[in-house]
Amino acid sequence: MKKSVTLLLSLLFVSSAIMAGCGNNNNSAGNQGEAAATNAANATESPATEKPASSEPFEMTIRHTQVGADKQKRLAILEDVVGKVQAEVPGLTFKLDGVDSDVNRKEKLRGEMAAGNPPEIFDLFGSPDSKIYAKEGKLLDLTPILEELGIKDKFSNLDPFTYEGKIYGLPIGGSGEGFFYNKEYYASKGWKAPTTFAELEQQLAAIKADGKVPLAGASKAGWVPLMLANHLWSRYAGPDVTAKFATGEAKWSDPNVVKGFAKYKEWEDKGYFKKGELGFEYAEYTTQFTSGEAILMYDGTWKSSVFKAGQSGEGLIGKVGFFNIPAVEGGVGDQTALMRDVNNGYGFSASAAKDERQLAAVKSFIKNMYNEEMQLRGLVEDGVLPAMKIDQAVLTKNITDDLMSEIVAVLNNSESSFPAFDSLVQADVTTEISNIQIQKLIGGQTTPEKMGEALQKIQEEANAAVE
Amino acid sequence: MNKSLKNPLVFTLFILPALILFLVFFIYPIFSSLYYSLTSWNGVSDTVKYTGMSNFEKALGDERFWVSVKNNGWFILFSVFIQVPLIILFSLLIANVKKLKGLYKTAVFMPSIMSTAVIGILWGFIYEPNIGLFNKLLGVIGIEPLYWLSDERFAMLSILITNAWQWTGFYIVMVLAAILSIPGELDEAAAIDGATGFQRATRITLPLIVPIISVVIMLSIAGAMKAADIVIVMTKGGPAGSTEVMATYMIKYAITNFKYGYGNAIAVLIFMFTLVVTALYQLLFARRNERIEY
Repeated sequence: MKKSVTLLLSLLFVSSAIMAGCGNNNNSAGNQGEAAATNAANATESPATEKPASSEPFEMTIRHTQVGADKQKRLAILEDVVGKVQAEVPGLTFKLDGVDSDVNRKEKLRGEMAAGNPPEIFDLFGSPDSKIYAKEGKLLDLTPILEELGIKDKFSNLDPFTYEGKIYGLPIGGSGEGFFYNKEYYASKGWKAPTTFAELEQQLAAIKADGKVPLAGASKAGWVPLMLANHLWSRYAGPDVTAKFATGEAKWSDPNVVKGFAKYKEWEDKGYFKKGELGFEYAEYTTQFTSGEAILMYDGTWKSSVFKAGQSGEGLIGKVGFFNIPAVEGGVGDQTALMRDVNNGYGFSASAAKDERQLAAVKSFIKNMYNEEMQLRGLVEDGVLPAMKIDQAVLTKNITDDLMSEIVAVLNNSESSFPAFDSLVQADVTTEISNIQIQKLIGGQTTPEKMGEALQKIQEEANAAVE
Repeated sequence: MNKSLKNPLVFTLFILPALILFLVFFIYPIFSSLYYSLTSWNGVSDTVKYTGMSNFEKALGDERFWVSVKNNGWFILFSVFIQVPLIILFSLLIANVKKLKGLYKTAVFMPSIMSTAVIGILWGFIYEPNIGLFNKLLGVIGIEPLYWLSDERFAMLSILITNAWQWTGFYIVMVLAAILSIPGELDEAAAIDGATGFQRATRITLPLIVPIISVVIMLSIAGAMKAADIVIVMTKGGPAGSTEVMATYMIKYAITNFKYGYGNAIAVLIFMFTLVVTALYQLLFARRNERIEY
C-alpha cells in the first residue's frame, strides 16, 4: 500500500515536471521566431491563460496524411506540434488519424463532410475542395484567428484557401516547378543550365543525338505531362492566361495557348520524351532521371527530397541542378514567371467554433504549426518550400544543400508566379485535359488546334453551368 | 417449435434481423441512389436540388460514357468467348491428370487469391516495353517492342488478358468440382463401349456440367459489368480514356468532380444495364438447362 502511494506520488511529480518542461520549451521556441509573431502570439496567449480554463479531459482528432516511409519527417514535425499544443491547452488529448492522402481527399473527408462529422483538424486540399466545403459552411473561418495571431500577412499566397474574402485553410508548404538536370552530364558536355529557349532546345537535340533520353516521361496520370505543358502555354500566352479561362476573358483555342501545345507536340514528335510514356507511373518518372537514362526531368521542387542520403536519388547528391524555363520568343507577359502551388494544408471543422476549448486548441495548433521554425524544418528536413514569407538571410543561413540553394535562387530570380491550371479551371475541364486531351496529344491522336477547341468547348459548358 | 413458427408474430421476429440488414444495406442504398440520381447533389451540401432526368440525359448523350459501355461489352465478350472455353479445357485436362492434381488446382487457383493491386504491378512488369516478358519473347522472333499499356490498340486487350488470368483459376475450381461429382460409372461404361477420351469429354462430361458453366458465364457477366479495380491499377482508364469502363467513368467524371448526383445516375445505369444483360442471358440460355439428375 505504502509502496503504491509512493509510486503514484512520484509519477505525479515526474509527469508534472515533464509538463512544466514542455511549457518552457514551447516558450523558448516561440522566442526564436520573429519578434512580431511572438509578440502577437503572447498577446493571444495571455487572455487564454487569464480565464479559468477547465482542465477536464477532452479529445480532438487530427486527420493527417503523413503515412509511409517518405513522410516520416513530416510526421515528426506534426508530432512535435501536437506535443506543444497538448501542453498549452489543459485537458486536451489529440488523436492522430493517419490516412492515405488520396483516400482522405476523395473519400473519407468527403463522406464525413456530407455526414457532418469531420475531424476537428484535417488535411485539406486548397482548390477546389476548400471552396466547396467553405460554401457549405463546413469549415472554420480562420480570418479572425490569423488576425489575432498577427500572421495573416505572413503567407505568400492564401488564394486556394480563400472563399469570399475569408480564409478557410492554411497551406503547409509550397512548391515550384522547373527542370531538374543532370549536372554531371552537362559538365561532360561543357554545358551550363540554358539561359535562352533556343539554347535549351539545342541541348535537347544534342542529348537525343547522343542516344540519351532528353526528358523523362511518365504520362499514365495526366497531371505529370501537364506540369510542363502548363508552363509552356503560360510562357506563350502569359502567366495569367489560365485564370482567364473560367471568366471567359481568354480561350483555350487562342493562338498563343495553342502555340504552347504545339511546342509540346513538337518535342513529342522529335522523340525528346521517354518512349512509351503513356504506360508509365509517376514513380518511374523519377527512376528514369535517377538512373541517368533521362538527362532532364520537369518536376516540382518536392522532388528535391529524393536527392538526399538514404533516398532513391542518393547517387546523384551534388550532381543535380534546377532551372526555370527560359523566355520563349514572342511570349506574352513575364517570361521569368514560375509555376508555384500552395494547395496542401490544414483545415478546421466549423464545429470547433462552438466549443471554446476546441477553438483555443485550434489557435494553439495554428500558432505552433505556422511559424518560422516549423517552416524552416519543413524546408531543411523535407524539401518543402515554406508557405510563409521568410527573410532571405534566414533562408540562406539554414540551407546547406546545393540543390536547395539552386532552387531558392530560381525562386528569387522569378519576378512573378502563377498557380497550376487545376486550381484555376473547373473540375470538368481538369478531367478533360488530364485524362483525354494531353494523352491524345502525346499519342498523336489530336492536333494542338483541335485540342484547344475541344478544351474550349468543355470550358464554355463549365462556365455556363456556373452562371 | 413447429407450432411457434406458425404464429405470425414469432415468425416475423425470426426473420426480422435478416430483413433489417437487407433493408439497410441493400434496399435503402438502391433507393437513395435512385433519389440522388435525380438531383445535382455535390456530395457535401445539405440542400439537394431536384434536376429530373438531366443526369441520365447527360450520361446517355456523352460519347465517353458510350466508350466505357463498349469496353464493358469487350469484357463480357472476352469472358464468354475466350475465357470460358479455356476454363472448360483446363478443367477437363486437370480432371483427367493422374498425378499432382492438387498441385495443378492450387497453381491455377493462386491468382484469384492475389489482390488486384499486386496483379496490376506484376503484369505491369510483364507488359513493360523494355524489359517486360512479352516484349522479350517477341524480340526472340524478331518483332519490334510493343507498347502494351500505352498504345490504344493493345491497352484494352492487355487488361482483358490480365483480368482473365486473375479469374480463370477461380472458375476452373468450380467447374472441376462439377466434373469430379459426375458418377464414375458413366465414364467407365462409355470407355468399355469403346468411346475415346475426346468423345467421353464432349458427349458425357460437357453436357453434364452445362449448369455450372451457365453459372460461370453468369458470374463472368456480372463481374465484367462492375470491373473497375483492374483498369485503375493497370491504365487508369488511359491512354486518352480508351480503356475506361462504366465504373471508372463514374469515379473520374462524377465522384472526383464533386458531382454525386451524376455519379449516382451512372451507378443506376450500371445497375440497369447489368440487370438487362443478366436477365436476357437467363431468359435466352440459362433457363433451358437448370437441373441434371443422375
